[in-house]
Amino acid sequence: MRAKTFKGGIHPKEYKELSNQCPITPAFPASKTVTIPVTMGGAPNQPLVKVGDEVAKGQIIASGEGFMNCPVHSSVSGKVKKIQNCLITGNGMAPCIIIEADDAGRETLLPVLNPFETTKEQALARIKEAGIVGMGGASFPAHVKLNPPADKIIDYVLINAAECEPYLTCDERTMLEQPAKVIDGLAIVMHIINGGKDGQGHAKGIIVLEDNKEYILPALENEIAAAGYADKMSVCLVKTKYPQGAEKFIVSAATGREIPSAKLPADAGCVICNVGSICSISDAFRLGMPLIERSLTISGGAVEKPVNLRVPVGTIVSDLMPSCFTLKSEGASEPVKIISGGPMMGFAMASADFPVAKGTSGVTFLTEKETFLEEESQCISCGSCVAKCAMRLSPALIVRELKAGNIEKAKSFGLMDCIECGCCAFVCPAKVNLIQRIRLGKGIVRQKMAEEKTKAAAKAAAEKAEGGK
Amino acid sequence: MSNKIHVSSSPHFNLKCNTTMIMGTVLFALLPEIIMGIVLFRWAALIRILISVASCVCFEYIFQKVTKQKVVIGNLSACVTGVMMALVSPPTAPVWIFVVGAAVAMIVAKGLFGGIGSNVFNPALTGRAFMFLSFPAAMGASWLTPKTISAVDAISSATTLSAMKAGTFAVEQGTYWQYFIGNRAGCIGETSTLLILISFAFLALAHIIDWRAPVAMVGTVAICSCITGENVAMALMTGGLMFGATFMVTDYATAPLTKKGRLIFGFGCGLITFLIRRLGGYPEGVMFSILIMNSVAPFLNNLTARKYGYGKKAGRPADAKEVK
Ligand code: SF4
Ligand code: SF4
Repeated sequence: MRAKTFKGGIHPKEYKELSNQCPITPAFPASKTVTIPVTMGGAPNQPLVKVGDEVAKGQIIASGEGFMNCPVHSSVSGKVKKIQNCLITGNGMAPCIIIEADDAGRETLLPVLNPFETTKEQALARIKEAGIVGMGGASFPAHVKLNPPADKIIDYVLINAAECEPYLTCDERTMLEQPAKVIDGLAIVMHIINGGKDGQGHAKGIIVLEDNKEYILPALENEIAAAGYADKMSVCLVKTKYPQGAEKFIVSAATGREIPSAKLPADAGCVICNVGSICSISDAFRLGMPLIERSLTISGGAVEKPVNLRVPVGTIVSDLMPSCFTLKSEGASEPVKIISGGPMMGFAMASADFPVAKGTSGVTFLTEKETFLEEESQCISCGSCVAKCAMRLSPALIVRELKAGNIEKAKSFGLMDCIECGCCAFVCPAKVNLIQRIRLGKGIVRQKMAEEKTKAAAKAAAEKAEGGK
Repeated sequence: MSNKIHVSSSPHFNLKCNTTMIMGTVLFALLPEIIMGIVLFRWAALIRILISVASCVCFEYIFQKVTKQKVVIGNLSACVTGVMMALVSPPTAPVWIFVVGAAVAMIVAKGLFGGIGSNVFNPALTGRAFMFLSFPAAMGASWLTPKTISAVDAISSATTLSAMKAGTFAVEQGTYWQYFIGNRAGCIGETSTLLILISFAFLALAHIIDWRAPVAMVGTVAICSCITGENVAMALMTGGLMFGATFMVTDYATAPLTKKGRLIFGFGCGLITFLIRRLGGYPEGVMFSILIMNSVAPFLNNLTARKYGYGKKAGRPADAKEVK
């Protein structure tokens, strides 16, 4: 099979070998305390518990009324200690519910549900109830994603198994250890997308795998054949290249289509799920288990022995030290950056005292040698960023126009199409802060759009008032 | 854990390659030409290269000091300009002229435009053009013949290009080979097609330069010469075409950034070179063609690639009824 791919992109060193031999091991924070963000994807939730309440594992502790809300469950059986703002991924402070675990072992799971007996609505309700979001980082609520507008015909359900960020291997390990669960999850999603019990849809399932993980392919194909899905599921091998795992390139590599600018995958007839999410979907039906645990990779040159762990959602990363992993401390191998996620798109955190959220796919501790701390210098117009931009934009020109204040020109070079993947900054010899500048530019555009909207609304209201006289 | 934890925006990974390393690599790629120049023209070449480099670095330093900018001569870009300016000048040019050229290159062409990456015109070529136009007698009247290497003396002979233009050029047996390896009169570093090809291959394979503009330029000259029935091999191997295509057309700041833009840029340089050589008042057109195209380069940047998500491939094809 020839591996498919897309134009542009880069080949950062992968460092997968640091952790891809490490089985996913269950772990529990030493402090026996979890700090669960009230909102993890979707619209802002309200806490449903008070300080002092006893909660059961799997009990909903925060949620909201809206369609875009996604409930949050307690990942342990215990007592609510505090509800307060804590440091979370992204370096902001956000309300979190701090629960101290007890030994009572209270558990309230959902009833087991046969996914193939359900209608689309029932299935989507279950997915919402289980609090499932995209687990690759963006944390988009799954019940919204799996319910594309009725006028969009979906041809493919794609599993994003590229895991193109360096260091991270938890998806790789999941597919290796539980191929059956991945296939089951995919079948469930296809059932939903195809309209549930009496649905008419014809969507096929494709697992999009980077060829550095080709060794997992036979296991997945065997599993597909064993489950009797050979006619509607396949595995598509794609070249190992960053940012293969971005939605747009999963779609273009696997199907040859492109997601139109500013549109959703559904506009290209595709729905994309991450490996972690697909497994939680299977668990939500088969075990009645809400999304209260997740697998993640802890790696990086500053970690003594990188690991893959499965921890309760809300585990504070530093609570896993030293029982699960330790950091190197001598000179050059000390960490200088702590990243929630991988080194290309992850967030640099001020400390390791932040909770594992539903979207935390890994924590990377980088040494000074691995990362770069050089200061920005003047763009030398080398064009490397243009050559490597996966979206085929012209980053240096966008930034140049932004500096000159020509927002419209910057847009024509692709300002609003940037997916912030970081390829451009990765190759830039002058270390220009391309992404920061592009983000600022996007902010200006969005603000302008918002202003215009309010202005237009005010004008419309004024006109209405005029007309009413 | 220490208090050395840094928080900065993604990506946290990059290629371990910076501006200084790129400039260093270009200097390294220029070594064969430098050595060849010294072998052919001895002290005359060495002194001019050294003076040119030293004055470029000095002028950049002075300019940055005076205008209270950060001094960045450490990034070696001034050295590159200095070397290039010397290599495209005749070995008989008076030494003082390089100081003048360096001042124009570093202050007028580069510094005033905003320094590295912001200049519109190639500094080395601007410096040379100034030298050439202001002191024509000093810059092109006499050439050194490398054949008399033991006792290098100046001769007032016409160059190959002027001879070709006048129709008095005769190709003897062995001429091609001598030209190919560079045993001919000419500017200090422009003589050897072979060595320049090696430099080109090295820079292109190291991804320091993009092949598009050079190939388009040389290709255009070759095709035009072929159509008009000229001696194609000689058109390519004489003058500064090869050197210009490898080192000047690929200058980062003064060429377009986009792939399509670079192709058109190279094509334009080739076409103008050909026209000047054939019809213009000067025997050589490489320098002017590149400078002219430099002024167009910012507009050529508008020739971008098709962005992802626009055009035909975007969206679900209308005829996608049922997937097989
Ligand atoms: S401009 Fe945006 S999309 Fe292009 S490489 Fe840079 S971050 Fe990625
Ligand atoms: S890679 Fe950096 S130096 Fe090169 S053009 Fe882009 S922004 Fe400028």
